[in-house]
Amino acid sequence: MAQISRDQVKEMMAEVMRRQNKVLPESEETPLDEIGFRSLDFSELALRVEDELDEELNFDAPGLRSIRTVGDVLDFIDELQKDL
Amino acid sequence: MSFEHPDAPQAPLTVTNRLVADGFAGTWEELEPLELPDRAAFFARDNLEALRAVRHQREHQRELLIAAQSRFEPALVDDLLRLGLTVVSGGGENVQEPPTQRATDPGRIWLLTSGSTGRPKQVGHTLDTLLTVRGKQPPRTWLNPYTPGAYAWWQVTTLALAHPGTSMVCVDGGHPWAEIAAEHGVDAASGTPTFWRQALLTQRDELAGVDFKQITLGGEPVDQAVMDLLADAFPNARISWIYASSEAGASIAVHDGKAGFPVEWLDHRADEGRPALSVDGEELLISSPNRGDGVPATLRTGDRVEIRDGRVHITGRLGSDEINVGGTKVSAGKVRDVLLAHPGIAWAAIKARKAPVVGNLVQATVVLDDKGLTEDDIIRYCTEHLAETEVPRRVRIVEEIPLKESLKSDV
Repeated sequence: MAQISRDQVKEMMAEVMRRQNKVLPESEETPLDEIGFRSLDFSELALRVEDELDEELNFDAPGLRSIRTVGDVLDFIDELQKDL
Repeated sequence: MSFEHPDAPQAPLTVTNRLVADGFAGTWEELEPLELPDRAAFFARDNLEALRAVRHQREHQRELLIAAQSRFEPALVDDLLRLGLTVVSGGGENVQEPPTQRATDPGRIWLLTSGSTGRPKQVGHTLDTLLTVRGKQPPRTWLNPYTPGAYAWWQVTTLALAHPGTSMVCVDGGHPWAEIAAEHGVDAASGTPTFWRQALLTQRDELAGVDFKQITLGGEPVDQAVMDLLADAFPNARISWIYASSEAGASIAVHDGKAGFPVEWLDHRADEGRPALSVDGEELLISSPNRGDGVPATLRTGDRVEIRDGRVHITGRLGSDEINVGGTKVSAGKVRDVLLAHPGIAWAAIKARKAPVVGNLVQATVVLDDKGLTEDDIIRYCTEHLAETEVPRRVRIVEEIPLKESLKSDV
């Protein structure tokens, strides 16, 4: 089963932000509200990953509420891919 | 102009009206009728077969359903046999008799609904209720690009059957048709917005040879951009849009070149054969004298409307037009109209895409006229014209406008 690496997901996340003239910081500890990465952006990122994988992800997976930082987003996408 | 009850003396066919279909070119009179059983469901392999069946029906006023051979499938055949129809296919070679015989309902024409929301239903009409254009008509040669047996196909066909001076050229609307139209002097045509957009995108040079006097749109939500494109491409044409279906019949006809219909048309009582239109919540309701037999006097159409700038716009189906993005209602029709208003976008379709946190996001599929446009350009344009939740977060660029046999989009 094809997987998307953490770096690739980070690149996609940067692309979502670049569209809004924002820059994704290097540190994965950066809080999302500090960089203006909101729920619509997070949803877009998930769909980008789905499109890249050409697979539907199970968005009902637990852990969504604990997403606070850039690293949490990347962890969550990792978790979603493990369910494939 | 009307078709008489079968017991009444028959008015003559408009025998001089010319027909062109599948190698045939001649008048109704020259068309050999296709002998069918008294109560027949006929699956036609092409337009010519279907027109021969119409010719027979016009003379004998029996009971007839015409469908394209492509719709032939066992569950539908079972339904038609239960309706008491003899199912005829393969040009008349394959005949399936119904389990029980019943009396014929003279002059009954059966239509199938599209079946897009389930199994196709049968809706009863007559040639008279299918003829929705009354009064004197200017001589025209109409293009009929629809699938044999579809409601829109019948509308054009009854026009050519009833109105002196109305000729008809039948084509497969899914294939290039402009050269055929030019060759046979077509000056009027009816089609869906998707059909017209595809024609403008792929046959623009060939269409220069067609001098349209009348262009009609229907079958899908009609946006202002496509009407403007057609008005620009065909300056001699009157651009109209109609709302019609096998169940509601022909109910709305707008000839002022604008999308939507005047809000003043709502809540008028049905009179002089005109349908009454109303809105309940966001749903269009129609009480039409042209409705199919057995259809409720006031039909809930399932179509969503929006009233803006004094016009009532039909934006799409209730179930699919509204997208819930994080609790905010987004109209797919509004997003589509914004995209279609972009001069570099030839066609667009909008759908909801299931997403985490917000439930759904808006996804657009587009065909470009300007091949230089990028996904970024499109999203930036949408950001300038739409609210944040309305902006498509995913944009798929495809090469060709998808066109179903119904001439509607299949996305």
